[in-house]
Amino acid sequence: MNDTWFQILGALPPLLVALSVIGLFVTLCIARHERLVYAMTVGGLNLALVATIALIPLGPVAVTPLYIVDFYTLFFWGVILVATLACAAFAMPYLSGFNDRREEFYILLATSALGAMSLVAARHFGSLFVGLEALSIPLYGMVAYTFRTRASLEAGFKYMILSGVASAFLLFGMALLYGATGSLAFTNLIPAGGYDADAGPWMLMGIGMMLVALTFKLSLVPFHVWTPDVYEGAPAPVATFLATVSKTAVFALLLRLFVSAPITDNAWLLTLVGVLALASMLIGNLLALRQDNLKRLLGYSSIAHLGYLLTTLVAGASLSIEAVAVYLATYVGTSLGAFGVVSLVSSPFAGKDAAHIDHFRGLYYKRPVLAVSMAIMMLSLAGIPLTMGFIGKFYILSVTMASGLWWLTGGVIVGSGIALFYYLRVMAILFMDRPAHAREPQLSGTGDNWAQTVVWLLAAATILMGIYPAPLIDLAAVAGITLGS
Amino acid sequence: MNELSMVYGMGLAALLFLLGFIGVVIRRNTLFVLMCLEIMINAAGLAFIVAGARWSSPDGNTMFILIIAVAAAEAAIGLGLLLQLQKRFRTIDIDAASEMHG
Repeated sequence: MNDTWFQILGALPPLLVALSVIGLFVTLCIARHERLVYAMTVGGLNLALVATIALIPLGPVAVTPLYIVDFYTLFFWGVILVATLACAAFAMPYLSGFNDRREEFYILLATSALGAMSLVAARHFGSLFVGLEALSIPLYGMVAYTFRTRASLEAGFKYMILSGVASAFLLFGMALLYGATGSLAFTNLIPAGGYDADAGPWMLMGIGMMLVALTFKLSLVPFHVWTPDVYEGAPAPVATFLATVSKTAVFALLLRLFVSAPITDNAWLLTLVGVLALASMLIGNLLALRQDNLKRLLGYSSIAHLGYLLTTLVAGASLSIEAVAVYLATYVGTSLGAFGVVSLVSSPFAGKDAAHIDHFRGLYYKRPVLAVSMAIMMLSLAGIPLTMGFIGKFYILSVTMASGLWWLTGGVIVGSGIALFYYLRVMAILFMDRPAHAREPQLSGTGDNWAQTVVWLLAAATILMGIYPAPLIDLAAVAGITLGS
Repeated sequence: MNELSMVYGMGLAALLFLLGFIGVVIRRNTLFVLMCLEIMINAAGLAFIVAGARWSSPDGNTMFILIIAVAAAEAAIGLGLLLQLQKRFRTIDIDAASEMHG
């Protein structure tokens, strides 16, 4: 097989998603048909998922100097595609109450997923930047999609301004690094004096500015302030996407940058990252304690979870990549389930999402399976044994302990302890007496069954993976071994 | 080109970046916030041109073209949201538009 075709084969999953985006544009020009648009989106994403799985035996493929498709990339492509499919399934019943054009939502969703896939495979500043923007710019539109509600428009505007500032920081940081090293590829970012020389002020400033931008996207302390507002204002399926796909892609990129770029071997930098991790898990969990809005609560809890994940960057142990892969997969699975329940309870769209905790009081007596799924998700987020959240937390703890980072181990344990309070509170509320003013969950008919099936599948997976995690761990181990070059 | 000229160029870019950043932070009118955002992004573009000139390679210019395209997309969606903000709430003051807290 000649080299060009080999590269195209390696890039097949994102190419399929890109083709379905183009197809959606053409279709919308000819006819507006919501079912058709939905079917095309889901079909394209499923084809991409099949292609991703089919690429596993192929081995690492370098697609131009910009991208690398190794097992690490394939693993995260799989996570991103599954999460995007779940978001599409939640969006369908949600948007059935939205009296405006609904079809464009799926174009934005697929484009954003394409950006996320590009980000995960990036090994060059050019592809990093394009991927990050292709992920973010459709998200501005998605957050403000229900623009007639004030909260949604406000959230979209806030997210756009802050995200734009973060992009500018990222660009300036990249320009400084490029000025100091003369290279845009991650692996060539070597201090001017040679491999062992200290990184100069240009490079430290450059990597510092990039870190500001990426920690913003990951909503880590001190750049976390936007998270609860945007999660609250965004339509529930979009909040789901923000909490899962966007976080996964950016973290996968950050890890690749730290593993492959030589300048990140800097004790000062790693200590700084450790402090950010500790602050995120403590502040995220403490602020979540006093929330009555479930979307805000999940927003703060995501800050804490990303804090746990960040400890693996500091540890740099041999298990680190495997731990990140396992933790991100379990976190994405559980967050999808939790946000999915919020989205289903708020479906169909009727002005404001039913995210206040009162709407969930006594949900068990109205929609028992949804309530039980939600309870399972809360247990998994809290990291209780027999759920897959426990497996992820176990990995994080073993990585921090293996590297002797006892202060971070302590932080994870204290953080998880605090988190138990609010997760169990949500769980208890699901089984209390139902107040009269709670919004009744309705079956919207269109696509509602699909969305429910997705939630049930996620709940089942949470338990199954908690009891028998071997398949996930094997997959993650393969992803961890083959990151490189 | 020598090291000194990169310091000058980067200094200018950093100054523009800082001005843009200050504008984003202190301006309350969203139109000006968007303009300051553009200044920040273009300052980063200038920094790429300067760095590209130091290594006399086209990479910096390529990045600049990407940056211009993305900045245009950001401006387009930003102005779209601005129009909706004005239409729905009769204000483009960023504090007046802000309701969510805590």
